[in-house]
Amino acid sequence: MGGTEGMSTVAIIALASAFVTHATAHTPTASMEPALFTTLALALGDGAHAVVDGHAADAAHAAHAASGYADVGPLHFVKAVANTDFAWLKWMLLAPLVSVVLCGALAMFKVKSRMPAVFTVAAFGLSTAMAIALYFQFGPTLFETHAPLTVPFMDWLSLSWGPAPFQSFTANLGFYIDGISMLWMLFVTVLATLIALYASEYMESDLKAGYARFFFAVSLFVASMLILVMSDNLVGLYLGWEGVGLCSYMLIGYYATQPGATAAAKKAFIMNRIGDLGLALAIFLIWTNYGTVQYDSLFQAIATTGSEAVQGGWSKAAIPFLLLLAVCGKSAQGPLFTWLPDAMWGPTPVSALIHAATMVTAGIYLLARMAPFYTVQAIGGEWAETALLTVGWIGCFTAFIGATIACGQFDYKRVFAYSTISSLGYMVMGLGVGTAFGGVYYVFTHAWFKALLFLTAGAVMHGMAGQVDFRKLGGLLKVPGFRLTMICMLLGCLWLATAPFSAAAESKDIILLTALTSDVQQVRWMGWIGVLTAGITAYYAFRVWFRLALGPVKIEPGADQHADHGHDDHAHAADAHSTHKTDAASHGGSGFHPHAPGLRISLVLTLLAIGSVLAGLPSYLEHSQGFNWIQRFVENSTAKIRAGDGAEHALILGRDAHSTLFIIATSVVVAGFLLAWILHAKNRALGDRMRAFMLNTTGLKWIPLGSEHGWYVDQFYNAIIGVPAWLGAQLLAFTDRFVIDGVVVAAVGRFPGFVARVFQPLYTGTVQSYALTMAGGIGLIVAWVVWVWLSGGAS
Amino acid sequence: MNTMTPAILAATTNLGPKFMLIVPEAVLFVGAVLCAVMGLSHVRAFRALVPWVAVVALIATFATMLKVWTPEAATAAQLPMPMLGKYIIALLCVVGVGHVLASIGSVDRAVERQVASGTGAFDPVRVIQGEFYAFILLSLCGGMLLCHATDLVWLFLAFELCSLPTYVLVAIGRGADRSMEAAIKYFFLGAMSTATLLLGFAFLYGATGTLELSAMRESFQMQAQTGGIGSVAIVGMLLAVIGICFKLAAVPMHFYAPDVYEGASSPVAAFISFVPKVQGFVTLIVLLGTVGWSANGDSSIPPVIAAVLWMIAVLTMTLGNIGALLQRSAKRMLAYSSIANSGYMLVGILAGPTIGIDATLLYLLTYGVANLATFGSLAAIERNGHEVDSIDDLAGLRVRAPMVAAALAIGALSLTGIPPLLGFWGKLDLFVASAESHQRTLLVIMALNSGVAAFYYLRLVAMPFVQEATPRTQGVSPVPSVWPRLSALIFAAGCIALPFFANQLKGEAAAAARTDLDKQATVAQSVEK
Repeated sequence: MGGTEGMSTVAIIALASAFVTHATAHTPTASMEPALFTTLALALGDGAHAVVDGHAADAAHAAHAASGYADVGPLHFVKAVANTDFAWLKWMLLAPLVSVVLCGALAMFKVKSRMPAVFTVAAFGLSTAMAIALYFQFGPTLFETHAPLTVPFMDWLSLSWGPAPFQSFTANLGFYIDGISMLWMLFVTVLATLIALYASEYMESDLKAGYARFFFAVSLFVASMLILVMSDNLVGLYLGWEGVGLCSYMLIGYYATQPGATAAAKKAFIMNRIGDLGLALAIFLIWTNYGTVQYDSLFQAIATTGSEAVQGGWSKAAIPFLLLLAVCGKSAQGPLFTWLPDAMWGPTPVSALIHAATMVTAGIYLLARMAPFYTVQAIGGEWAETALLTVGWIGCFTAFIGATIACGQFDYKRVFAYSTISSLGYMVMGLGVGTAFGGVYYVFTHAWFKALLFLTAGAVMHGMAGQVDFRKLGGLLKVPGFRLTMICMLLGCLWLATAPFSAAAESKDIILLTALTSDVQQVRWMGWIGVLTAGITAYYAFRVWFRLALGPVKIEPGADQHADHGHDDHAHAADAHSTHKTDAASHGGSGFHPHAPGLRISLVLTLLAIGSVLAGLPSYLEHSQGFNWIQRFVENSTAKIRAGDGAEHALILGRDAHSTLFIIATSVVVAGFLLAWILHAKNRALGDRMRAFMLNTTGLKWIPLGSEHGWYVDQFYNAIIGVPAWLGAQLLAFTDRFVIDGVVVAAVGRFPGFVARVFQPLYTGTVQSYALTMAGGIGLIVAWVVWVWLSGGAS
Repeated sequence: MNTMTPAILAATTNLGPKFMLIVPEAVLFVGAVLCAVMGLSHVRAFRALVPWVAVVALIATFATMLKVWTPEAATAAQLPMPMLGKYIIALLCVVGVGHVLASIGSVDRAVERQVASGTGAFDPVRVIQGEFYAFILLSLCGGMLLCHATDLVWLFLAFELCSLPTYVLVAIGRGADRSMEAAIKYFFLGAMSTATLLLGFAFLYGATGTLELSAMRESFQMQAQTGGIGSVAIVGMLLAVIGICFKLAAVPMHFYAPDVYEGASSPVAAFISFVPKVQGFVTLIVLLGTVGWSANGDSSIPPVIAAVLWMIAVLTMTLGNIGALLQRSAKRMLAYSSIANSGYMLVGILAGPTIGIDATLLYLLTYGVANLATFGSLAAIERNGHEVDSIDDLAGLRVRAPMVAAALAIGALSLTGIPPLLGFWGKLDLFVASAESHQRTLLVIMALNSGVAAFYYLRLVAMPFVQEATPRTQGVSPVPSVWPRLSALIFAAGCIALPFFANQLKGEAAAAARTDLDKQATVAQSVEK
């Protein structure tokens, strides 16, 4: 049975990770045995106590829970230390940029070779090495002194129009390294390297077309993402923010000959523009209020502003809301989430890297970085609470909506896209309910397993000629060559469903725990909706896996240029794979040979699976190390004001918070899992009958239809924005044709003609007339000066 | 004359250090002679080498300048603005290389084709390639020499060395009747403007009794302390400014620009829309720096001159932009755009020496780069073997010549001042300068003008990229030589890459704008802080 095989594999990977951990986590202070014990206990399914004990032992943060929701007390940020010893950090940024130039040159001269992939993977590898080196060289200092690092890179922009404050503007290219930027640098570079390696094989069918263009955009993306997280000021962040948006646009529209892809690219770009407007306005307001956009001086300025009288009124209070608008655009939240599912038109590695693991988490980075703006001290008590609640509700609402839509999709890549929206909703909610730690931790774990899920989906599409409808596939666990893929997908689905003790559960539970133990009624409501969403998530995750992996083998290959789901179609027509005949021992459609993933794809999948499991280590080792690795990053950043999980000694339903939540969450997840098992593995006929019944019942019809069509949000936007805009455009076109061209142009066009007629003698085009005109001009000026002179105006 | 002797003595004792500084120009002059000679060679390979001799000469000039132009040497030569020359020579060398590349393949094309195919024999009288590049280098040489001026005679001679070759370039660049007509117009009107300039110089000499700029400055300072500057000097300054306006294509001396640009070949039009502007602004800065700003002792221009410059700036940018709106000819449109850009740069002059001159100098650079990307793109395409001129010819260019279309669009966007591109940084500094000098009205007018300008610049983006090709554009193709295309591309890339070094460029411009080196040191310190 596939399920049991999968389970045992997970257990084996977990055990293996225990030994890896044992080897790597060897620090002088931490004894080896507890680490080994904890991980082993986990692998055997008895980790609850260890985790709970871990939280209980860490009583230092208990005080946090007592303080108010938005009020985190007086703010204090350790001043950053400039250190030019780390000037080598610039190479971390320059390496991908060199790759951009090289790949760009190859694309420009239409060179067909595998070199772009080599450049890209090498550059990313170099950046990864430097990110790790930075962690080991600067990490200990940061954790000890809590002082962020600033590294000047190059002067860029410094204007001044007077000596006073607010009369200068500085935005140089420099790096600001603290906990969260270091964390983002680490996982962005590592994942980018792995996914670029995967793409080097995945994109091979495009060697003759856009291979160099693809790697050009991916390199540019990583460079922009690094600028975004490493910059020491908001203008640099904005530069990176726009850069990743541009790359996202280029890569979604990569298959530019397909109208759907270009439409999706435009949609993503325009939706993001709305968010970017928010970010730009927020930066303007931050400058008008604080006179600086450099992080260090900005946060010092906030910390020294007295909380008793917040000056600035609306112009300060608007900042967190505008930032939230930016987050909604980039991280596909709330009203602006509709671009992300369409972004799946891009090649799958792009979906994994940009639209699941890294770029979409830029919004969470922004919220964590700008956390001080969501405090009483920055914007006043009333607004701070409203701002935080808005963030929480947007996240909660998005998590729920995303999950419900995912239940109705038949395209497995779209299911994962909606699951990303839902997961991002959880992260945003985490920051809204007051635990940046939970949000950031979930970003970290999510990055691994969601990249894994997308890449397994990509491997299936790669092998099945772009077939993305899971109703047309089945039993893939039995197809030779696809076993590893399906096992990895199982792991990803388990993690997505937040199976107990998984890395995802460890992180997501912190968010739910904080929400459920809050003093604020509304926040507790968010928590319960979050718990419900976890159950739905378990259902739709396994709905996909059971359909794809189990049951009788069924393979209906996708078409070369598939009509509906053109996403990423590969030209894997049956006869194009004579070299892979050995893979094609079995099954399926007439003469179609599934193209099993090759070495590079398998390697990357395995590494990502291991990474997904290891992503839980910060929690597993919390007891033995005495701290949570991720929490330590958050505590040493601007998000430190919300670094705790705020739930020590708190109660849910009158019982101990941790164990109660564990029991509730586990039962909800198991319920979702069982429902998926019954409807999509055990008795698929029942599932199909249920759907048919709902579709045929007037009162229930809206559920499956609405879910399948994303609750008609796109249609709604089209009705309220698209249609009026179209009408306006028609009106303008009419005005242009008949009023502007007809009346205004005639008038404007005739005016010069009129002038020309009046001055005809001067404008004969001859040199004499020009000379006369010029002399006249000189004469007029001199006459004017003489007149001023005579009337005594001159000095 | 008794008063003249010390001045002459001072000039003679200065000659040593001055000779040290003109080594770069000497190198360029040698390059020009080489070009002229090699262009007459019977060996085709030699003739083909001429542009490359020009490029090498420019690079050598640049390298020599870096070597000789030290603060010490410049101070020893007693230049009014010691580091101005370094900036201007570097600018003219770099952009000059682009202009040379943009014109490769367009000169003598018909003749060389005949010679290559054997249908015509080589005739030294019929070729102009050697002269063409020699005149480009000579004109650049004149522009560079302006920075060495310590007296009006030198200033005038350098001014004319810069001007005269451009008249010839307009005439020979295209080999058509229209270019002859344009050249005649350009020459005669240029002669008239020179007469105005000279008249102004004569008045200035009459008012002070000296041609030496430093002596003139002392005389004005004395006059200012004892009852104000005399009317003769004011009128002289006024006539000189108006004479210079011809080179800037500023109101009221702007009429010639559209006709001349349209008549000249595209590479030559690119050249005369940039180099004479550098020439005009350097002369204006040197002249005002000596006899304008410092005369009153409070760094302000005499109010009458300031008022006239204010009007010229406003009228120039407004008339330029409105004129450009109505054009269907790309070259005429860019001619009006170059008029408007002169208006912007005058804003920096009005803002004064410590605030605005560096902004004007920086804008010269940003304008030069973006202008070459735009004009160079026009020079890089042709329709049925003829120059492309109508904007309609650019429709759907993205398909026929994607690289040229991209360079054109980037250049136009940079001229518009769209933020990440180079043009934005030039405009930004001008805006900051006008804000700092409390020229609020001027700032608003300039902002409105920039908005209006977007209307026609965006045509150069929309035509190649949004419009579909028409039957008319069937014959549009890149020119055979790859260099014009490459030149446009390189400078378009510059529009994207140089903003990353905006602060460094600004620092160079600020250093160039200083009138003495002590101040410069303090500024450098404050920047470091």
